[in-house]
Amino acid sequence: MELYELNLYHLTEGLKAKKFSPEEVYESCKKRIDSCEENIHAFITRTDEVAKSQLNENNSGTLAGVPTVLKDNLCTKGIRTTAASKILGNWRPPYNASAWNYLRDAGAILMGKVNMDEFAMGNTCGNSAFGATRNPNDLSRVPGGSSGGSAAAVSAGYVPFALGSDTGGSIRQPAAYCGVYGLKPTYGMVSRYGLISYGSSLDQIGPFARTVRDLQLVMSVIAHYDPMDSSCFREKNYDFTHHENVSIKGKKFALVKEFQDFSLDPGIERAMKKTQEILQEEGAELVEVSLPVVSKYAVACYYALAMSEAHTNLERYDGVRLGYTVKDAAGIKEMFERVRSYGFGSEVKSRIIAGTCLTEPQRCEQYYVAATKVRTLIAQEFAKAFTQTDFILQPASPEMPPLIGSQDDDAMKGYQADLYTLPVNLAGLPGLSFFTGYYGDLPVGLQLIGPRWSDPAILEAGLVIERHTGTPEIANEGVK
Amino acid sequence: MKLTSEQVNDIALESRLLLTEQELAGATRYINNFLEILDSFKELDLTDVEPFSFAEVLECPLREDKVAAFPDAEAILHESEHVDGSYFKVPRIMEE
Repeated sequence: MELYELNLYHLTEGLKAKKFSPEEVYESCKKRIDSCEENIHAFITRTDEVAKSQLNENNSGTLAGVPTVLKDNLCTKGIRTTAASKILGNWRPPYNASAWNYLRDAGAILMGKVNMDEFAMGNTCGNSAFGATRNPNDLSRVPGGSSGGSAAAVSAGYVPFALGSDTGGSIRQPAAYCGVYGLKPTYGMVSRYGLISYGSSLDQIGPFARTVRDLQLVMSVIAHYDPMDSSCFREKNYDFTHHENVSIKGKKFALVKEFQDFSLDPGIERAMKKTQEILQEEGAELVEVSLPVVSKYAVACYYALAMSEAHTNLERYDGVRLGYTVKDAAGIKEMFERVRSYGFGSEVKSRIIAGTCLTEPQRCEQYYVAATKVRTLIAQEFAKAFTQTDFILQPASPEMPPLIGSQDDDAMKGYQADLYTLPVNLAGLPGLSFFTGYYGDLPVGLQLIGPRWSDPAILEAGLVIERHTGTPEIANEGVK
Repeated sequence: MKLTSEQVNDIALESRLLLTEQELAGATRYINNFLEILDSFKELDLTDVEPFSFAEVLECPLREDKVAAFPDAEAILHESEHVDGSYFKVPRIMEE
């Protein structure tokens, strides 16, 4: 077995026992990247020199010597950070995202910054100024998005774990498409300081890995209170310690009544049935909950809020302090217009205009304020559901990874595909995207949702399911 | 009510975006489709519903209002092409 094939936990154990050195692990992962990257195109920026310098630091932390990659909307001091947009140019942030600081302090080695949809707006990883990433399980298909580069890197064996961000499903859907595990933590569980903002009340950083135990290990490092993020949890401690022999006996798992009539691709439908059998075999009880407002209004509510927040967050890109700029503008208005019109891609422009439209005084009450109230109803509906169940089981996406270029021109139809993931962000809940096996050559992932702050319990439920489904194989389609 | 392409163009200009004819046609279609979907909110009675907030946040977490030096101000200035000494320099603000 090559070192790049080891899962995170086994890698850390081997490094601690000095069975192999961090340099050997780095070389193995680098070789793997070199052999696949031309076909997969997961990276925006490789950081081999940074990695080599970190290898000389003699760190003895939890993740000492473990290679990783970061979605390119996480700020890295002195290292180009683009959010996959032309408008950020070659910006090198003057500070690190807190989540990266925690990983770095624990000894993780940065192999690079990976691809995403521009400013995390998209679900294919094809809406990037740096070109599309391909699914390592089938190069003709999308890896999902927006954190497609992170999911592809873990799936292809570049690194044992990666960080991404999830505003409406951007960790969970690509994890399912690429056949890895991904956790969207509770809003506030992981500091957002240094995450380039899209929808600030929805954004959350989280990990990808090839086993649930590996997600526990990463969460034990990044789930920190951070005074730099006012929405970060305080006065609570969360324990992500791995325990053997966890059980879900007597726990309730719900299906959503209103989702039962929605069509699913056959592979996903089969995975739903198989997972329910596993849960029953493990002594869990299957129940049903009703989420009528979620099922009918969540998509509209989500996009109204996400676009309104995006238009505000993206006002800062003006060409003055950072990124792409022009030097011959006649006045400041011309400069702003030229910089923003060239720097933003078309999806981002559409969302900025929509957000501006919804928050104008004459429409604000009717659309933006109404959406914030619908969000309250959605959160209340979930809170009520979690008095009747411990977890909700549902797909991460209704469809298997689409072929690259097959997406509908009507953006609204694409947004509907996010129905299973985005309500979780509206209510600030945790969601685990877990591997269930293969349908043909493609992996199939599903999703477990829990109440706020139930992240450790969701991962333990994931461990029980993983005992039945096994660990995903490293995808080899990218090998030249 | 549907927005005209002129109205959408005005909104784009407020956002400091200049659109090509093709982009404007796309954005007009996009926004009108979206507003139609948002009109579904009218089916809900939102009269006594409060706007959303995370229930656990009972107090606004404020920091002490204390001046502190950023450790590497030079790194911030270094990323801009519009710098004069220790300031950012912007083009003329007032229109002729």
